[in-house]
Amino acid sequence: MTTQMDNMEQSARTLWSDAWRRLRRNRLAMICLWVVIFYTALAAYGEVVYRWHQWKDITPSYQQTDLDKQYLPPSLFRQPFTVESGAEVGVMERMSSGLRELARHPLGTDGLGRDVMQRLIQGTRIAYMVGIVVSLIAIPIGVVLGCLAGYFRGRVDDVIVWLYSTFAAIPGLLFILAIAMVVGRGLLGVYLGIGLTIWVGLCRLIRGEVIKHSERPYVAAAHALGLSHARIIFRHILPNVFHVVIVTFTLMFPAAIGTEVFLSFLGIGAQGEPSWGIMISNARLRLWHGVWWEMAAATTALFFIVLAFNLLGDALRDALDPRLRTGRQ
Amino acid sequence: MTQSNNMLAEVKDLRVYFDAESGPVRAVDGIDLAIGQGETVAVVGESGCGKSVTSLALARLVPEPPGLYAGGEVLYEGRNVLGMNEDELRDLRGNKISYIFQDPSASLNPVFRVGYQIAEALRLHRRDVKVREEVINLLRMVGIADPEERARVYPHEMSGGMQQRAMIAMALACHPKLLVADEPTTALDVTIQAQILELLTSLQNQLGMAVLLITHNLGLVAGVAHRVYVMYAGRIVESGPTEEVLTRPRHPYTRGLLDAVPRLGGTSERLKGIEGVVPNPARLPAGCRFHPRCPLRQTVCEEKEPILEQVDAAHASRCHFWQELSET
Repeated sequence: MTTQMDNMEQSARTLWSDAWRRLRRNRLAMICLWVVIFYTALAAYGEVVYRWHQWKDITPSYQQTDLDKQYLPPSLFRQPFTVESGAEVGVMERMSSGLRELARHPLGTDGLGRDVMQRLIQGTRIAYMVGIVVSLIAIPIGVVLGCLAGYFRGRVDDVIVWLYSTFAAIPGLLFILAIAMVVGRGLLGVYLGIGLTIWVGLCRLIRGEVIKHSERPYVAAAHALGLSHARIIFRHILPNVFHVVIVTFTLMFPAAIGTEVFLSFLGIGAQGEPSWGIMISNARLRLWHGVWWEMAAATTALFFIVLAFNLLGDALRDALDPRLRTGRQ
Repeated sequence: MTQSNNMLAEVKDLRVYFDAESGPVRAVDGIDLAIGQGETVAVVGESGCGKSVTSLALARLVPEPPGLYAGGEVLYEGRNVLGMNEDELRDLRGNKISYIFQDPSASLNPVFRVGYQIAEALRLHRRDVKVREEVINLLRMVGIADPEERARVYPHEMSGGMQQRAMIAMALACHPKLLVADEPTTALDVTIQAQILELLTSLQNQLGMAVLLITHNLGLVAGVAHRVYVMYAGRIVESGPTEEVLTRPRHPYTRGLLDAVPRLGGTSERLKGIEGVVPNPARLPAGCRFHPRCPLRQTVCEEKEPILEQVDAAHASRCHFWQELSET
């Protein structure tokens, strides 16, 4: 009876839960996963703040300029700005005003007196928007075209390979700039520009995997059962190559974010919203005067999200790679 | 074997070629074959002689390209399979002609539970049944103990014999009239082989379907097949009732295959193999295709290809000297 229970537990461990087990054993990957979760929470919080202000129709604090507070350096504890001279200040009052001032502008303020931390959080929101929308554009294109090319081969394959080779041959940035010029500045151009170029790598990978799987006996068996092409491709082969999509997603996400930051830095990305790229662009004006915190905040945020996603992607690839799954299949 | 009215499936002068850089590879080159209702027919031959391609051609499953149906016809219940459109073919496959393949571990999709894969065949061709119960029934029918549990298991968690049973359950899901078993036991242990063959035979009696058994092991067909076709280099070299072919082979190739089967209680001399290998179908020898490996070859064999001559009403051989092979 116990062995039967063990067996059942064994069978409950699917290919995915197996990969999850493998991933959990990798400490670095788990740290990265927590970093990613942290960023995601920040982005979600940023979204709530953004929506709330939009709903209330008020200028959010991260957009409010306050020229009295220009270039405040980062500090966890800040003296009240206006000290009533001569007034007797008791210990309790000192304490309570100190608490109130605790963690006000912990990362300092920028040239217009806006809170760097809040802008950073909004930057995270925009980065996530870009990552998600770009993936929503690029993954369906890459998966569908890759599957069709790998499965049907022949003429279909020729056309799709020609298409992605053409896309790959255009310098990526040039293409993105061109699209941004057509649809105008702003995030829409960024979404389209990145989304329509970044699918090439995924398409290539999926095509290769599908070619490999099309020759597996289980595909022949599916044919012999009388299944339609669409069902064989998307129901039978795709789940077997889906790990490629997951891994590519984790690498595509930071790549899209990096490109967005770059485009915003150049001034053709986010407009009037605190993207990391805009923060970096603004920060460079006073960098040599010792105003380092805005630059540091944006670049550090970018650095860690890209690092975390890339390391997580590598770990996922190891965890999902069937060749490393010993004793299985 | 000439009457065609009561035949379930018939192959007439079928030619299947493959495109290669060096020109067409004649994998199957003019084959005639007939399978009656409820009959077990075996096709025997070495690897690369075209038997798998023949079996796939029955439901037009040879991928085109690179494959090419260069001639002949395949009739299923009198209708030409090679002239069917995609919809008709899908209705034929899995529903009327089912396949089980050599390597069950690779023929089941690794990411789906076994029960789901059987259910898929049911949903496709038999919309009227209660899927869950039918899956359990099928698994029980192919001798899987504890079918409720086993339906929820992934293929890699089953043993090879169990996987092949699951494949058979999948193939039988729609009660096909013809089951094509392409080397169903090659990847299995000897002990399991016997069980699977036994299962096939009993299921055949139970369901009254015809079975086309493809194998390279002539010893396997003895208790199973009614008739046997021996294939060599894309052609049938001998055909006849199993008893007849096994006891009085009229072709040196069949004799070679028989000598290569180990026998219980036989003499302790070494097993005899057949010299050489199956010729590359892109460069077939002139004359009789078997002559380079034949122990009885004469000059005529190098020049003239023999025709399939009737030894008696049911038995035929493609050898110039079948008469001399009569008694051994």
